Amino acid sequence: MLARRFRTLTPFAALLPMALTVIVAYIGTALWTLRVSLTSSRTFASDNFVGLAQYERLFDNERWMLSLHNLAIYGLLFVVACIVIGFLLAVFIDQNVTGEGVLRTVFLYPYAMSFVATGLVWQWMLTPGNGIEQAVRLLGFPNFQFDWIIDQDMAIYTVVIATVWQASGLVMAMLLAGLRGIDPEIWKAARLDGIPAWRVYSSIVLPMLGPTLATVFLLLSTAVIKLYDAVVAMTQGGPGTASEVPAKFIMDHLFLRSNIGLASAGAIVLLVPVLALLAPYAYARSRKGQA
Amino acid sequence: MNKRVARIGIYVFLFSAALFFLLPLYVMLVTSLKSMDEIRAGSIFALPLAATLEPWRQAWSEVCTGAACEGVRAGFWNSVAITVPSTILPILLGAVNGYALSFWRPRGASLLFGLLMAGAFIPVQVMIYPLVRLLAAMGVFGSLPAIVLVHLIFGMPVMTMLFRNYYAGVPHELFQAARIDGGGFWRIFAQVMLPMSAPIIVVAAIMQVTGVWNDYILGLVFAGRDNLPMTVQLNNVINTTTGTRLYNVNMAATILTALVPLAIYFLSGRWFVRGIAAGAVKG
Amino acid sequence: MYRARNIAAACALLAAAALPSLAAAQTAEVIHWWTSGGESAAVKQIAQAYRGAGGVWIDTAIAGGDQARAVTLNRIVGGNPPTAAQFNTSKQFLDVIEQGMLNNVDEVARKESWDTLLPAPIINVIKVKGHYYAVPLNIHMQAWIWYSQAAFKKAGITREPANMDELFAALDKLKAAGIVPLAHGGQSWQETILFSSILSNLGGKDLYLSVLRDRDQRAINSDAFKKVLLAFKRMQSYVDAGSPGRNWNDATAMLISGKGGVQIMGDWAKGEFTAARQVAGQQFGCMPGLGPNAPYLIQGDVFVFPKTTNPDAVKAQKLLASVIVAPATQLAFSKLKGSIPVRTDVDASQLDACAQKGMAAMKDKARQVGVTEVYLTPDQNGAIQDVLTAYWNTGMSVDKAQKNFAAALKN
Repeated sequence: MLARRFRTLTPFAALLPMALTVIVAYIGTALWTLRVSLTSSRTFASDNFVGLAQYERLFDNERWMLSLHNLAIYGLLFVVACIVIGFLLAVFIDQNVTGEGVLRTVFLYPYAMSFVATGLVWQWMLTPGNGIEQAVRLLGFPNFQFDWIIDQDMAIYTVVIATVWQASGLVMAMLLAGLRGIDPEIWKAARLDGIPAWRVYSSIVLPMLGPTLATVFLLLSTAVIKLYDAVVAMTQGGPGTASEVPAKFIMDHLFLRSNIGLASAGAIVLLVPVLALLAPYAYARSRKGQA
Repeated sequence: MNKRVARIGIYVFLFSAALFFLLPLYVMLVTSLKSMDEIRAGSIFALPLAATLEPWRQAWSEVCTGAACEGVRAGFWNSVAITVPSTILPILLGAVNGYALSFWRPRGASLLFGLLMAGAFIPVQVMIYPLVRLLAAMGVFGSLPAIVLVHLIFGMPVMTMLFRNYYAGVPHELFQAARIDGGGFWRIFAQVMLPMSAPIIVVAAIMQVTGVWNDYILGLVFAGRDNLPMTVQLNNVINTTTGTRLYNVNMAATILTALVPLAIYFLSGRWFVRGIAAGAVKG
Repeated sequence: MYRARNIAAACALLAAAALPSLAAAQTAEVIHWWTSGGESAAVKQIAQAYRGAGGVWIDTAIAGGDQARAVTLNRIVGGNPPTAAQFNTSKQFLDVIEQGMLNNVDEVARKESWDTLLPAPIINVIKVKGHYYAVPLNIHMQAWIWYSQAAFKKAGITREPANMDELFAALDKLKAAGIVPLAHGGQSWQETILFSSILSNLGGKDLYLSVLRDRDQRAINSDAFKKVLLAFKRMQSYVDAGSPGRNWNDATAMLISGKGGVQIMGDWAKGEFTAARQVAGQQFGCMPGLGPNAPYLIQGDVFVFPKTTNPDAVKAQKLLASVIVAPATQLAFSKLKGSIPVRTDVDASQLDACAQKGMAAMKDKARQVGVTEVYLTPDQNGAIQDVLTAYWNTGMSVDKAQKNFAAALKN
């Protein structure tokens, strides 16, 4: 009897570290951040409560509003591009090509490199006068223009290009792992039935990659919300404030401007849509688990 | 005939993609082999006129990172000491968590998992100050255990998610069969699930090694003065505010620092083998 | 036997007396952000001077001022503060002082008569409520006007411009000669430097102080300030298309190669010229402002001492403080850093030509003003940076810019 009780308790015990982490580290921090966002804290947390004043100041701030707008555009493009490119790369590499090891490293190496330096390289390449624009003009196209990075409206797209370059390789690796986990009998059976390759992929493989795609999507979404290094390395949020993103806004106010009250308000605002999306999802899954 | 065209098409696509991916690396290599005079004067795509390995030597052992001028190698072993436990522990815990969440589903676990995933969206810097207070209260602030614990906290959401979604794709019959055979929680984990997790372990290792090895801000704040990772030296070389910048040395230093994760990627090849999971289903 | 025991006791006593003085070497861990080659050579001068005075220097260098300051703050909060930490002459450490987290350095201040020796803008930020909390190391001037001799010659400019109109005329000549007139890096801190230069040279010292130090709303809404904003925007017509996001060193590189004519940047730019083996007065020129009375925009590096009651640490702090203000250390450091010493009683002939110009300008107390962060909190400073960079980069009207600037400095 004791043995059976012990056996049903084991999963709970195994999940204890996770429970501790969630409650102490994550919920604790979120609550602390919420509290600070309701004060007028500067460099250190103060007890001077000012209600929703920080939030008012936040939504009055043009730079913050622009950063939210940029994040929406960036997020959509980045996630779609990474998944499409990553999937295509994974599928093509999976076709028994020679030199797979080399190719895989070629697509993955951007992920290994510190974006501080690679971001600078992208800035050099995309700056008119010296980078790609100059090179193409020298190749014989004197009217070629590629100055997105200094354009108020287009700067954020350059960040998309550079970050897709960095992240697609990882998406490829994960989808490749997923593809390799699919039963080879499925391929054989499909070939026997005479189904064309692309039909196999779209009707059979993609659904089977469901969990992997969910993982990829969640991972890319966290990267979108936390986007900071790339913007700092490439455009510094510029020109002006054209490529500002929320994480950079928060960081600047946290450290540079010694205004942790406003930064905390920004962090909470950033967290709200995430919770709004995840909460019903988690609730639905837990109900399904019960049933 | 169609098959041949398809084969050629595949190679053309992969080759063009490879060119796009390799372009920045080309610029970095070429810049790292030039002298500063050439960099100032020339175009970024031009091949070096007088290639030199001097920037590489400087980056490794000579460039100034403060009063000390010993290059980026100073922090190499610190980075290793931080990365090894900070990779093994989160992967292990993530696997256990994913396994428990996928097959055993204890009450309240889904809610916890949902909250953990929400936590993954919080920018790291927002959590630094409260974590500093927490670790100081625990008395471990500024030490190797502190930085490993911090990497564990930040790695747990992604690692758990990776394994949970991977195990969600494993047929439930496998698990049922093992239980009927009399397996308990840990037995089934160690003897059935873990062996067939090779592909996802590789992906998890790639992500965690890269994340920890390239981490800068957490190591800077939590590791303590004697355990500062290589990225601190790298950042000191690259990010000087009002000092002169040696772009050639910067590029060389970046590539040198990236060699460890790159080696892991290349060596992980043999684990991307087809049929590990399939074999387990059949057998 | 009696004598042997006495001798043994005497030896033991001597040994016990000797040991503390061996262990008395003061250990100081110092956080700073001097990580490039030239900066490293400079900070080594302080380390050597400290070692010479009997101390042990532990170097914790962290590139990027805001990163280093963040680490300092986190370590103070986390309970293992460094012995000393670098800050700028600014209000960045005001909160830290108010929380009682710093030891004061009144002893050194009294001994070296800082009240009479230091420039007023610096005393402003290091003396809070009657106590001194930071030791000043050097003075940088933020808005030197650098120019390439080759570019000037090609454009036919024979004289250094002495006022704003002559500067615009020179920039026009450079443009006509096909040279990029203003080599500029489009980052918000660089744009603020450019703006400060125009405000001080065109607006004059009084307008500069009423806007930035007094935050006088009438001065900000005045026509004189509008003229400054318009001149600032006019500068944008002289930069090249690739300027947004450019690092300041890449802009200096344009001067070095003769592709650019003028750059407005701090005296740390000298390091780039020296690295390219160019000499002041030969390949490049330096002006601390337009005209002989132009305000000299002061900023500098200081060290603060986190609070500790550990007697060894306090001794180390006092020793470090006295080493930093010593004339020899100041001279050795500034020579390699490109700044000028805080003290005026040093042998200026050892410094390069531009630094000597700077020291001469400093001697005139009427020319001394602080940079924006001397007078504004980090938050206010950031707010005006946002306004200026938006005005520079978009089609914002001058009236809107003036209104936003006033709103940014209202509280």
